[in-house]
Amino acid sequence: MSNDTLPSTAPVQPAKPVKESKPASLWSDAWYDLRRNPVFIIGGAMLVLLIAISAFPGLFDTVGVDAKTCSLAQARKGITSEHWFGTDNLGCDVYSRVIWGARVSIIVGFVSAIVTAIIGGALGLLGGFYGRWVDVLLSRIAEIFFAVPSILGALLILAVIGRDNAGIGTVVLALSLLAWPMILRIMRAAVITAKAQDYVVAARALGAGPGRIMIRHILPNAVAPVIVVSTINLGAFIAAEAALSFLGVGIQSPQISWGLMIADARNRFLEAPLPLLFPALFLSLTILSVVMLGDAVRDALDPKLR
Amino acid sequence: MRVTKGAQIVAGTALLALAVAACGGGGSSSGTGSSSSAAGNAGAVRVEIAEPQHDLIPGNTTETSGAEVLNALFVGLVDYDADKKPYNRVAESIESTDSTTWTIKLKDGYKWHNGEPVTAQNFVDSWNFTANGANAQEGNYFFGSIKGYDDLNPGEGKTPTATTLSGLKVVDDKTFTVELKNPFSGFPTMLGYTAFYPLPKAAFESEGKLKADFGGNPIGNGPFKISKPWKRGTDQTISLVRDDNFKEGKAKVDAVDFKIYTDLSTAFNDLRAGNLDIMDQLPPEGIATAKNEFGDRYIEQPSSGIGYIGFPTKNGADYAKNADVRKAISMAIDRKTITETVFSGTRVPADDFISPVVSGYRQGACGEACTYDPAKAKALFDQAGGAKMGTIEIGYNADGGHKEWIEAVANNLRTNLGVEVTPKPVEKFAAILEDLGNKKWSGAFRMAWIMDYPSPENYLRPQFGSGGSSNYSGFASKEFDDLVTQGDAAKTLDEGIKFYQQADDLVLKEMPYIPVYFYQTNGAYSQHVKNVKIDPFERIDLFNVEKA
Amino acid sequence: MGRYVIRRLLQAIPVLLGTTFLIFAIVYALPGDPLQALAGEKRVDPVFAAALREQFHLNDPLIVRYGYYVRDILSGNFGTTFRGLPVSTIFEGKFQVTFQLAITALIFEAIIGIGLGLWAALRRGKWEDKGILAVTLLMVSIPTLVSGFVLQLVLGVQLKRNTGIDFFPVAGIQDGLRSYLLPGFVLAMLSIAYLTRLTRTSLMETLRADYVRTAIAKGMPRRRVLGRHALRNSLIPLVTYLGADLGTLMGGAVITETIFNLPGIGQQLFQSVYLRENSVVVGIVTVLVLIYIVANLVVDLLYAVLDPRIRYE
Repeated sequence: MSNDTLPSTAPVQPAKPVKESKPASLWSDAWYDLRRNPVFIIGGAMLVLLIAISAFPGLFDTVGVDAKTCSLAQARKGITSEHWFGTDNLGCDVYSRVIWGARVSIIVGFVSAIVTAIIGGALGLLGGFYGRWVDVLLSRIAEIFFAVPSILGALLILAVIGRDNAGIGTVVLALSLLAWPMILRIMRAAVITAKAQDYVVAARALGAGPGRIMIRHILPNAVAPVIVVSTINLGAFIAAEAALSFLGVGIQSPQISWGLMIADARNRFLEAPLPLLFPALFLSLTILSVVMLGDAVRDALDPKLR
Repeated sequence: MRVTKGAQIVAGTALLALAVAACGGGGSSSGTGSSSSAAGNAGAVRVEIAEPQHDLIPGNTTETSGAEVLNALFVGLVDYDADKKPYNRVAESIESTDSTTWTIKLKDGYKWHNGEPVTAQNFVDSWNFTANGANAQEGNYFFGSIKGYDDLNPGEGKTPTATTLSGLKVVDDKTFTVELKNPFSGFPTMLGYTAFYPLPKAAFESEGKLKADFGGNPIGNGPFKISKPWKRGTDQTISLVRDDNFKEGKAKVDAVDFKIYTDLSTAFNDLRAGNLDIMDQLPPEGIATAKNEFGDRYIEQPSSGIGYIGFPTKNGADYAKNADVRKAISMAIDRKTITETVFSGTRVPADDFISPVVSGYRQGACGEACTYDPAKAKALFDQAGGAKMGTIEIGYNADGGHKEWIEAVANNLRTNLGVEVTPKPVEKFAAILEDLGNKKWSGAFRMAWIMDYPSPENYLRPQFGSGGSSNYSGFASKEFDDLVTQGDAAKTLDEGIKFYQQADDLVLKEMPYIPVYFYQTNGAYSQHVKNVKIDPFERIDLFNVEKA
Repeated sequence: MGRYVIRRLLQAIPVLLGTTFLIFAIVYALPGDPLQALAGEKRVDPVFAAALREQFHLNDPLIVRYGYYVRDILSGNFGTTFRGLPVSTIFEGKFQVTFQLAITALIFEAIIGIGLGLWAALRRGKWEDKGILAVTLLMVSIPTLVSGFVLQLVLGVQLKRNTGIDFFPVAGIQDGLRSYLLPGFVLAMLSIAYLTRLTRTSLMETLRADYVRTAIAKGMPRRRVLGRHALRNSLIPLVTYLGADLGTLMGGAVITETIFNLPGIGQQLFQSVYLRENSVVVGIVTVLVLIYIVANLVVDLLYAVLDPRIRYE
């Protein structure tokens, strides 16, 4: 790596144009930045589109996903004017299924990612900050859950809730139940690092209470890795949802999700790649939009970059 | 009673979650997994199997992988020719005047791998062991037609009153007699299957008790013997070598390695890479490649399995109870396209309850009811009031790769009958069967059957007879029972066929199950071997396989 | 530090008890009679079943059965399966296979993940950064089964058939370490995605930190700043992830093990859950939790090495 590959984070960054004279808050500054940041605009537009698709799939649909539109004789066909994304193993239109599959996938992905981030994040923050018995207790509980194999978790939920009540809620529960310990570990590590930083020590010396230190000083500096892991979790959850469907815990046909589409298309991937690639592409775009938004927002909020 | 969950037949990859569970677990090995570089036996013919579910004990083996290995280690009283007709192997003759009491004489010269001659007592010992419920052998039910079986298997909560079958009698070293509960002219057809192999004296620790290590280090009477003890759950290869003292002559190859795979796609890739010689089942997604790459080394032949959609006709939902609705559903299923597209031609449309591999099968027996006709189906469905009977559920086990064809059937029904359909995956097949047994399952369900012995009777009585061992539909008809009994009592199997066919017609009329497809055997072999033949039990005739 | 380690190891005891009890309770609560699973699709013989129920204490309440299990474990006995195989026989060789697989994956993960993340961070906003992001997204959204199968086909089958190079075995473990390369990479793919993004973010956060900017402002060579300050301080979240991931890789290798026919613990775990083989499931999970505990402990100790301001409590 050459010396000059280091990004120019040096203080010589050109000062941004000063706008109106009234004193700008951190948030309004950030918003001002964001509106002009193409990364934010593109990422935001993509996410809005995806949300619109999941909210109103009918608006984007061409062929429909009714069984009548599927024809086994047309299975595994390529792209045509009628089937924009080709057809799947059962001769159904891949484009329409991607559109109608968005809702389940996006809800499952976002809700599970957020639930895990909040639970794991909060416990990691407490454990990392207070240390001692709080940390011991939380970390050990996390270890207990860590070792539970995911199939067992899914089957457990199946046993408790029952097959007939399975739905998006159970999927979120099953996925989140076993994923939070990793977030706890990541958050805890970040908090332990942040806690030792000078400004935290200083804040403590100035008599700031633990709550204030945690929220105002530590959290903003420790949250980045959690966000990163959660964005990838988002994608992993969307894909993992299909595995639960196979066990009968997840959503069932005739409902559609990207994860199920990908899983169903796997075996015939070499013969017919399209039914796998398109839902995978949409899954990628969902993660991409979140990554872009996350990057832009973090940059805008980071005072060090100003 | 060989209901199949399809695990051995369908590729394990069909599942993300339960990919492995179905085919048995992976064996482990410390370098024994053979391939081009480190073979169990140098120059051995390498055959794909899934991990046998039990140790190598004939009476405890009812799945194809274990049966494949045992078929090389043992030889039974009879075997089956190309027409699936039994011919004598260890047996000199199997005769009866009343189809009830059978006298079985053995040929001279068959020897155990330890040098002892094969005697009538060996058969009787083996059958008594397997028939004894306390030994919990998978093949136990095969002996249900022999007199005295009920004393050994009295049922829940009762104590057995015997430890041997009263119907078996040793006459001399080479002769024994079998007395059946009821006349059955097809009895000789049963005798070629794994469960009827003999066991040597050396297998037993004491009377009626098998040695603990026998299943890993079996002594057989077949063309190959085990070359080193197999540790189930650990060893990934089962290695056999030729037994040069085999009565029928020497096998053409000196050694066979059975390589254990958990996934057919993996095995197929190994076959293509030259690390494997014979596969007797291929993953459906590999069929096109196999035809193309293997040419005349690709095998396609009928196999004994039938796939159905079944209904609890007595305790089920309204649509399950109505014969016309069931018939309408049957007519709404596009069997041809499903077998061609979903199964890539590894199945063929079914049109009878008797499989084409046994005599008695009639092409098109099912007639109109198994012919795809959406308009007629819809008319019949509406006429029978099917539209008011609610959502149709079709249960299937998630571990056997059934999802796609069940979904295809569901789409057929939704489109052609305008009815709501919910495919319902269940972790494993046993759960559906359990619910059916407890009358808790009300919807339709997938079902399949592989024959135990090549007789039409085996496709009928166990599944549709009153109190049949695998009667999950609740179908019961005195007329049917009588016809099957008449068929059994006929002088010869051939004479019995017309009764079986009449019984078959009764089932076809009521359609407690809808026959959807017949299984096919799809295999391929490498250019290192030739003369590869697969029998109706999907066992490879390794005795005659040659090096190419 | 010694006292800290001892304290942590003592804390492992309640964790082990907790996990084993949790797993025990789950398998206990699962629908499906284990003895019925044993018999497959036919009805299990009542006499035989009664004997097994007695032998495996299946008629006893959960807590009593758990007590029997703990007693056996304490005497070094993992128990036997319902089919009569000692659990230790089942484990024979399998943990080793999966451990080698997981370690191979972890190495791939560390090298590729951190490497790509570093590169992306340094070329932030440039096309390299975007390309790496695209690769990461692919790794998340293409399932292991597909990537694994394609790699197996291309490197295992086609390469050998077309060029005669027989370097990557299609399946099995007979070729020693070479057997683990392809599956190790396939297993690592999802984790590489996590680690790449984590490294990129972590490094960028550090590069923005005051002390790094100070160091650069002081005129310290950039390479040195990067190596001595930035990278080292960015490593904490990365080793945390890697440490915690080892256990996940070991327990979650089922698909990779299936594709490459590796006789490992992932497959075994899966099959045992399916068959409701309580003793095998609990045995495997016990070993897994030990691995988690030790890996997490090592990571926690590393914190203090990587950042001297952090002290053991």
